[in-house]
Amino acid sequence: MRIGKVEKFIHHTILVVIAILFILPLLWMLFSSVDTTPIQSLKIPEQFTFQNYLGIIQNPAIIRSFAISLFLSFGQSFVVVIVAIIAAYPLSRYNATYEKPFMYTILFLTSLPMSAVIVPVFQMFLLLNFHDQLWAVALFMAGASLPYAIWLMKNFMDSVPVELEESAWIDGASVWQGIKKVIAPLMVPGIFTVFIFTFTGSWGNFLVPFILIQTPENMPASVTIYQFFGNYGLIDFGGLTAYSVLYSLPVVFLYFLAQRYMSKGFSFGGATKG
Amino acid sequence: MLKKKYLTAALFSALILSACGGGEAESNQEAGSSEGKTPIEITWRGTGEEDAVLKYLENFEKDFESENSDIDLVLTPIPGGEGDYNTRLALSMQSANTAPDVISEDTFILHSDAAANYLTNLDDYVGEWEEWDQFFENVKEGVTAADGSVYGIPTVTDTRGIWYNIEVFEEAGLPADWQPQSWDEILETAQIIKDSQPDVIPFSMNVAAVNGEATSMQGFQMLFYGTGDTLYDEEQQKWNVNSQGFVDALTFIDEFMNQRELGPSLSIALNNNYTPTVIQDMLPNNQVAMVLDGNWQVRNFLEGGVAEMENVEERIGFAPMPTQNGEEPGYVTMAGGWAWSIPENSQNKEEAWRVIQAMSDYESQLQRVNSEGSLTVRKDVAEDSSYLERPLIETPTKILENAHFRPKSDLYPNVSIEIQRAVEAVSSGSMTPEEAAEQYRQGVIDIVGEENTY
Amino acid sequence: MEAARESNKRILSDNIKTAIFLTPALIILLIFFLIPMGLTILFSFTNLALTGAQAQQIEFVGFDNFVRMFNDNQLYDSILKTLIFVVSSGVIGQISLGFLIAFLMKGKNAIFRRFIGICVITAWVIPEIVAAFTWVAFLADSGTLNVIATSLGNIRPIAFLFQYPMISVVVANIWRGTAFCMLAFQTALDDISKEVEEAAYMDGASRFQNIFYITIPMVKGTIATTLMLTTLSTLGVFTLIYTMTAGGPGNATMTLPVYMYQQAFVSYQLGYGTAISLVILILGAIFGFVYTKLLKVD
Repeated sequence: MRIGKVEKFIHHTILVVIAILFILPLLWMLFSSVDTTPIQSLKIPEQFTFQNYLGIIQNPAIIRSFAISLFLSFGQSFVVVIVAIIAAYPLSRYNATYEKPFMYTILFLTSLPMSAVIVPVFQMFLLLNFHDQLWAVALFMAGASLPYAIWLMKNFMDSVPVELEESAWIDGASVWQGIKKVIAPLMVPGIFTVFIFTFTGSWGNFLVPFILIQTPENMPASVTIYQFFGNYGLIDFGGLTAYSVLYSLPVVFLYFLAQRYMSKGFSFGGATKG
Repeated sequence: MLKKKYLTAALFSALILSACGGGEAESNQEAGSSEGKTPIEITWRGTGEEDAVLKYLENFEKDFESENSDIDLVLTPIPGGEGDYNTRLALSMQSANTAPDVISEDTFILHSDAAANYLTNLDDYVGEWEEWDQFFENVKEGVTAADGSVYGIPTVTDTRGIWYNIEVFEEAGLPADWQPQSWDEILETAQIIKDSQPDVIPFSMNVAAVNGEATSMQGFQMLFYGTGDTLYDEEQQKWNVNSQGFVDALTFIDEFMNQRELGPSLSIALNNNYTPTVIQDMLPNNQVAMVLDGNWQVRNFLEGGVAEMENVEERIGFAPMPTQNGEEPGYVTMAGGWAWSIPENSQNKEEAWRVIQAMSDYESQLQRVNSEGSLTVRKDVAEDSSYLERPLIETPTKILENAHFRPKSDLYPNVSIEIQRAVEAVSSGSMTPEEAAEQYRQGVIDIVGEENTY
Repeated sequence: MEAARESNKRILSDNIKTAIFLTPALIILLIFFLIPMGLTILFSFTNLALTGAQAQQIEFVGFDNFVRMFNDNQLYDSILKTLIFVVSSGVIGQISLGFLIAFLMKGKNAIFRRFIGICVITAWVIPEIVAAFTWVAFLADSGTLNVIATSLGNIRPIAFLFQYPMISVVVANIWRGTAFCMLAFQTALDDISKEVEEAAYMDGASRFQNIFYITIPMVKGTIATTLMLTTLSTLGVFTLIYTMTAGGPGNATMTLPVYMYQQAFVSYQLGYGTAISLVILILGAIFGFVYTKLLKVD
């Protein structure tokens, strides 16, 4: 599109302003975490310190909770991505009569808040002897995020032209080979998007592990962060912000790792044509 | 293509690493119980690094386990807010698979949990326990449910009053041994402070729904029981929903918060960090003059406390909260406290009882009460010199004899929520005292049924 | 005849094939999602409580919870607050800001785009509790925003969270959720071929005409899908609001998820709490229905 220089300048300015507004609240977190005397507002630290970080990294209980978080979130996200690809394929490629009702039902059920569902889940876990089992917690979170993931995945898959696949079939490929060789590579951005979406969702989830996990040592980072918060005493801003930075790091890192594959962003391709 | 492989490898190794971490934990757990010891799980609401109960229990664990080789104490604090904690505890008490063996019960929820059959009836246990006679009678009342049975062994109790900053008082020309006689006198004193030191918050108390039971008990009920009214008629088992005292108490809150601006700003008052901010930061730093709160807050000012100070009695005072117009006995206080209970679903009740007995003996009680700054439940501890010599212990102990206790009803926790909503509606200025009292009336009727109100 | 039979057969085989592919998803969904959902709906017809005598004797109370909801003024208020929150932060805020950013970014230098993207996306990927706490600090009396505001003019600090609670949580939620919309629109906009826009430009269409008559219709499908997903996720926002205001002051930000949590976990009225959660479900379905009808996409 041809736009004039002035307009281009305005565009850039607006974008930079927006970017600053987005990053401003987060700067406080970064700066306070290395400040010897952190306060509630943004200020350039007079004296830098890594003491806040060291205090956390040297605490084995916190490191352990991070490892458990990684296990839960990775486990859940892998299951979700694989199952969602398999489920999205027929929804995108075939014309089952129950497709639409199925899609909408599962989608709307996701709007039930987790806090409403957690008590029945707890009781079900007791019944099935799943309580305090990390894998079961990961599977439950996988189940809760599957509907959304299937929805996203189907939309991504709609944007992969069916002709490519057909030509693979003509070359003698099976449906499964078609998915593996033709669709999956083209869907890398979509797969990463679903992965990250699922991962961030469970990474920050407090209530589910809090209720379903019994042993305190098995609590993930989303629960251990509570020791830095309110009504236990004056908030230790240094510790809290350092913890927050460390706690955010894996998801931010994961995003950057995946960014090159997501460079196209994500496309609800099929719907675009509608 | 190569890069993609690295990425996958990185993700997988992270997964495997963390999976190993997870597995290790379980095996540790197994090892503990496989030595033939009975694991006894003790659960309380954990409060992070500065957790006084944790520190006390860690010491207790060492002593207890060296004397009792057949029991392995497992300390399992539950983090999270008040609602989260009670939910989690209620759920885990529903099954033998998840129930802890010993739990720390706030006496306000003890009646509910007893009515829900979550707790073991301790009548037979205390019947054969000589030391039970050492416990104060009115404290025993607090752990006796509506059915007349004991469901918990008290471990600490408390009273409430007005903490005031003596330096601020003297600056305003007020006496160091201040003792107000009525609500009006509090407001007058607050006005004097406001006039002499405009930057100091004259009077403060818990008024935020987010602070839960503290707002109901440390805040509202300290006013309400000073009007002579009561929330619940225990004889008739009916709730009072048409009380003038209720409106009066809310009016006092409206007066100091909104009408006369003698209270803290809403950002302080409605913050979930209200208590630490006011008690640990503002009161010691002469930024607030009077704070209505629990006697245990003294621990902040003592050795090892967050706001440790020398000669605390020269800087901070504790005055009993006066009744509305100075009615007898001239002051009012609520008393609460914590108890140790055994969940009905515990699999090791005998061992759990042994643990509770050990936690309740003279030595252990003395340690607990001194580390927390709360009041003792045992007569002999109350006479111990190390207890009596604690600063600012005399007044809180003295007022315990006329203390009020919260309604003995399993629905009290729900009614308490309605109180908190009414208080916040008034303190935030979104309702008048009359409107909030009407909302309370409706709310309580919804909870207990119209036939159970008067 | 032949053709019809052929197509019937085709549909049948599609139905079966789809079902086979869906099996793993259905197993997980059934055990970990649909059964708990079913139980939740069942609970809403009981007087289930977490503690107290009612926890002891759970009873089916028919539609009692729903009758009670009907007379519950707080519920109506919460529905209203929820609508305000969803429409202003999700539907209007995130969608239009996301579209604006994506639109302005179109055709810009890749490094510049990436820089802007990072700023916006970080807000989206960090854990919700961290985002909430960051905003509590940002809006506090002595927080960054007040420090900036007081240094510009000689004014007293504004207690944003208490004087403008709804605006505060709406802004925080826009901040948090815009990235998702931005990413969706970026792709859709990039897919619009240059020729189409050039052609319209040649025809003498103004910039705004261009946006409204060419660009937006071209990405209508993306808008519909994004609207749907944004609405549903905004409808469920809990941690952000609960951490920032806990539904207060008074009931100023008591959206349905917060009210539901209060009833179920703070007042221990699980039965009533789950009944409220069904209202959220119904609201989501209504939104979805309206979108599909209005935008005529599937």
